Amino acid sequence: MKVRRTQKIRRATERRGPAGTPVEPAPRPNFPNDLIPKQRYTSREYMTREWEAMWTKVWLLGCREDDIPNPGDHIVTEIGRESILLVRQPDRSLRAFHNVCLHRGNLLVHGAHRPKEGAEGFRCRYHNWQYRLDGRFEDIPDLETFPQGAPACGGLKRLPCDVWGSFVWFSLDPDVEPLRDYLGIIPEHLDPYHFERMVLKEWKTVEWDCNWKASVDAFNESYHVQGTHPQLLYYLDDLDIQIDCYERHTRYLIAFGVLSPRVISPSEIPPPIKVVMRDAGMDPASYEGSVYDAREAIQKFKRKHGPAQGKDYSELNDDQLTDDYNYLIFPNVTMNVHADDLMMFRQRPHPDDPGKMFFDYWMFELPDVDFDAEEYERPVHRQYRHGETSLGLVINQDAYNLPFVQKGMNSEGYDGLWLGDQELRIRHFHKTLEDYLSGAYARGKTKVGA
Amino acid sequence: MDLGLRGKNVLITGATQGIGRRVANLFSEEGANVAICSRSPESVNRAIKEMRVLADGKVTGAACNIKNKEEYEAWIEAMAGELGGVDVFIPNVSAGGGMDSEKNWWKNFEIDVLGTVRGCEAIIPHMEKRGGGAITMISTTAAIETFMAPQAYNAMKAALITYAKQLSQAHGDKGIRINSVSPGPIYFDGGAWDMIKTSNEKFYERTEKTHALGRLGTPEEVASCIVFLSSAAASWVTGVNLVVDGGYTKRVQF
Repeated sequence: MKVRRTQKIRRATERRGPAGTPVEPAPRPNFPNDLIPKQRYTSREYMTREWEAMWTKVWLLGCREDDIPNPGDHIVTEIGRESILLVRQPDRSLRAFHNVCLHRGNLLVHGAHRPKEGAEGFRCRYHNWQYRLDGRFEDIPDLETFPQGAPACGGLKRLPCDVWGSFVWFSLDPDVEPLRDYLGIIPEHLDPYHFERMVLKEWKTVEWDCNWKASVDAFNESYHVQGTHPQLLYYLDDLDIQIDCYERHTRYLIAFGVLSPRVISPSEIPPPIKVVMRDAGMDPASYEGSVYDAREAIQKFKRKHGPAQGKDYSELNDDQLTDDYNYLIFPNVTMNVHADDLMMFRQRPHPDDPGKMFFDYWMFELPDVDFDAEEYERPVHRQYRHGETSLGLVINQDAYNLPFVQKGMNSEGYDGLWLGDQELRIRHFHKTLEDYLSGAYARGKTKVGA
Repeated sequence: MDLGLRGKNVLITGATQGIGRRVANLFSEEGANVAICSRSPESVNRAIKEMRVLADGKVTGAACNIKNKEEYEAWIEAMAGELGGVDVFIPNVSAGGGMDSEKNWWKNFEIDVLGTVRGCEAIIPHMEKRGGGAITMISTTAAIETFMAPQAYNAMKAALITYAKQLSQAHGDKGIRINSVSPGPIYFDGGAWDMIKTSNEKFYERTEKTHALGRLGTPEEVASCIVFLSSAAASWVTGVNLVVDGGYTKRVQF
């Protein structure tokens, strides 16, 4: 039955200690209600502008630090048409290089998203040009037959590279601002979750037939829950949501373990809320309270029993023990952040087709006392086409829509995105993107050089 | 057909919502005096207030956690005293489904089974005094055909069918009739099937099609069967389990 109950979510009013995540709402930006032109999703011209003015100017997620923990460990990641080699150095620092041999352009390390251990250097398979871990030439066979000598750059083209939050980041812009400046509020907000304590449980890439922004949008608003994920109406409040827009990045805070105002309370605790209870270590059959008190009961239970379960929630407020703190790190990293896990998406553009993208899916979990590091097997990355693998019911429901959204956007009958207040993050995202495209974020150096 | 319920005294457990509430409404509209209970005093008071608008007889009730034997028996005595005896008893309250832990078995045993048994034992002497009465227990089609998953709810509700039959043999000579009703899937706003309809529409539609009558039942359709079996119109019926399911179950009931 269609209803719209009045419901106010009780939220934490202050951060938990000086290191806790800030909870106060950010000032609400005032954006015009304009239509977002669909050409941003469909045109090659816009795709090219995006590449030149945005992708090549921002910081991008490369890999997880523990993909390459030891000297010589390396991994290749891809963005658009670029292939990037991330290498752990003998001094344990990290370097990023264009993954290309300077001789005839062969990719130096083949195969993306596959961590490789303990290299002493890199050798191009075409003519045996060799590079050291720090990117410098080690050996060029028959160097004397090159009258012009070795390329003057001295080795692989190096890119800015830094770490935050257990992840390795790189930029295609040699003059990019420091990572911390780029991330802005993000470390202060998310360090309390201690991603570095979490272990990788799933790692996949799926090729989707839609523009990368259609995917970003799908995880940037909760308005679609009643249309796409009706089962979640018995799991979360999709209406009373705190949306916060910061400089480039945004978040929203969604209460889990509650009923949506769009449904009436069944006499029994709904199965999805029972799942939250069970995950916390509670026995739903022993819970005697009302469904309206379940979220708070789960929070109290986790606060009390977390330490015995081997889980340190000391820097997280009560809301964070149940709710989804959902962040978009501009341009393409969606973090569904929870006390016990991080579900992370990276949406990458296709090299040349605005109607295609790569959806990278990572699931990390906070280990409990029963976690056996010896027994643990780290998942290997796999790549699929749309529909070849399940990403769980909820993401599958989102994925189902996207190729149809892209197809529809190409229709003569469609002009662009008609957004409502619940989709504020999408407006902010487009504002940030347009600011990059108009050069508002361009830094002094690049401007001077241009 | 006169159901002969005018002036009869009816006790129903857990009747503030769902099927139980519709049963209480119907008894009340037929002129019976009705006593209800629920764990929360607010919901009892709200239900009484709402029922009185349409009631033809007396409507009363009090908060009671039937899991607590003394509290439950005290409620029965208080209601019997207030109405002046008991003619009909509907042990309706249930702990519901769930496969969370062993605790589900204890809850269904304590609420569904003992909640019925203790009620019957306390009420039968009252019925004896009046020379007869009717008890209608609430089971489920999940007790008579495989349904969803092997839950405590299904097995404990099955126990009630056997108990009703044997209890009817034991007390027939006192003019007390004892039957059970087994409803199939029932839709009402805020009910379990409302949640299923919202969450998984395809499954809901498949379930509708499984019914010979092509839809889910309403609580009123179950209530009318419970009220009928508990009335003088069913004076020659005892020890039966009436399946009220629009043809959802497929077995032949010999």
